[in-house]
Amino acid sequence: MSRHARISAAAAILALLSACATAPRKDYSKFVAAQPRAILIVPVVNKTVNVDAADYFLSTLPIPVAERGYYVFPVNLVKRLLEDDGLADAALVHGADPGRLCALFGADAALYVSIEKWEAKYLVVTTQVNVEFAYVLKDGKTGETIWTDHEAMTYQPDSGGGGIIGAMVAAAVTKASPNYMPLARQANWKALSFPGPGFPAGPYRPEFGKDLGADTRL
Amino acid sequence: MNRPTLLLTSAALLVGLQGCARQTMYSWGDYDEALYAHYKNPQDRENFVASLDAVIRDATQRGEKVPPGCFAEYGYALMEEGRHDDAIAYFQRERDQWPESRVFMEKMIRNAEQKRAKTPSTPAKGPAGATRRS
Repeated sequence: MSRHARISAAAAILALLSACATAPRKDYSKFVAAQPRAILIVPVVNKTVNVDAADYFLSTLPIPVAERGYYVFPVNLVKRLLEDDGLADAALVHGADPGRLCALFGADAALYVSIEKWEAKYLVVTTQVNVEFAYVLKDGKTGETIWTDHEAMTYQPDSGGGGIIGAMVAAAVTKASPNYMPLARQANWKALSFPGPGFPAGPYRPEFGKDLGADTRL
Repeated sequence: MNRPTLLLTSAALLVGLQGCARQTMYSWGDYDEALYAHYKNPQDRENFVASLDAVIRDATQRGEKVPPGCFAEYGYALMEEGRHDDAIAYFQRERDQWPESRVFMEKMIRNAEQKRAKTPSTPAKGPAGATRRS
């Protein structure tokens, strides 16, 4: 092994080991400038053929966002009211003006999530589950995008390739009926974790305002 | 890797990951599981409402904050049952605990008041928070 390769390997192992402590950061200047306290999670857009996925996935979103220290509007109530207002199609909600949408609820920012993949592949001896999500947070005042993330996760039992995620959801997926929910929850926790790709601490967390340091672009 | 070692490793990994990711501020009970079940089977609404009730009770008993949105979601369930006075009481609790919800909750309170005005003869089912399921 060349010196370069050894250093690369060591770096990769280090990165893996400290994945939850020092993931690369993105530019948080817009997020910080927007100072969101209250986040409106709107119904999920489903780009897959699995028709029920949107509602199922919506149920996994409020807890990880609230646990980051933000006020989260009641997702089911919000969904029901939007439906009553003729916005039963989530694509219409995602296409609406974020400023007007946020003003309707008194929200500082709106979180738009799309499901890009939600599928089970039935292989010979096993079932492989794939999920993929795109997350976008928009400022309720300017309508500008202040944060985005993208997560793709795969789980395949008995493959030996599931790694940490595989170990965590091993019990949840059976060949008979693949359960997407543990993978979906895992994707959300990963998307929202900080340090990591997620939201810096919100006003209800003790480390609010202290976890970004002086520079918002690290 | 033999089976016990594998199990131990998985357990250790889980604990390690939880150590850096999962220290929840709120007690959510089975809120998300029940909402999922409700979406999976809309007839399962009772279970979802009961889980909201349980989350509110647990937090209140322990003197903790009720997680954001739970009072409001429960109030809406009561409103659907025609219990407008009780619904208003829960919307007020959401507003008082979470100032960020003020704009929305005041709309919901007005909403419930209008619905109450249209159906003045709502049968009394006990005060807000009274035990409905034991």
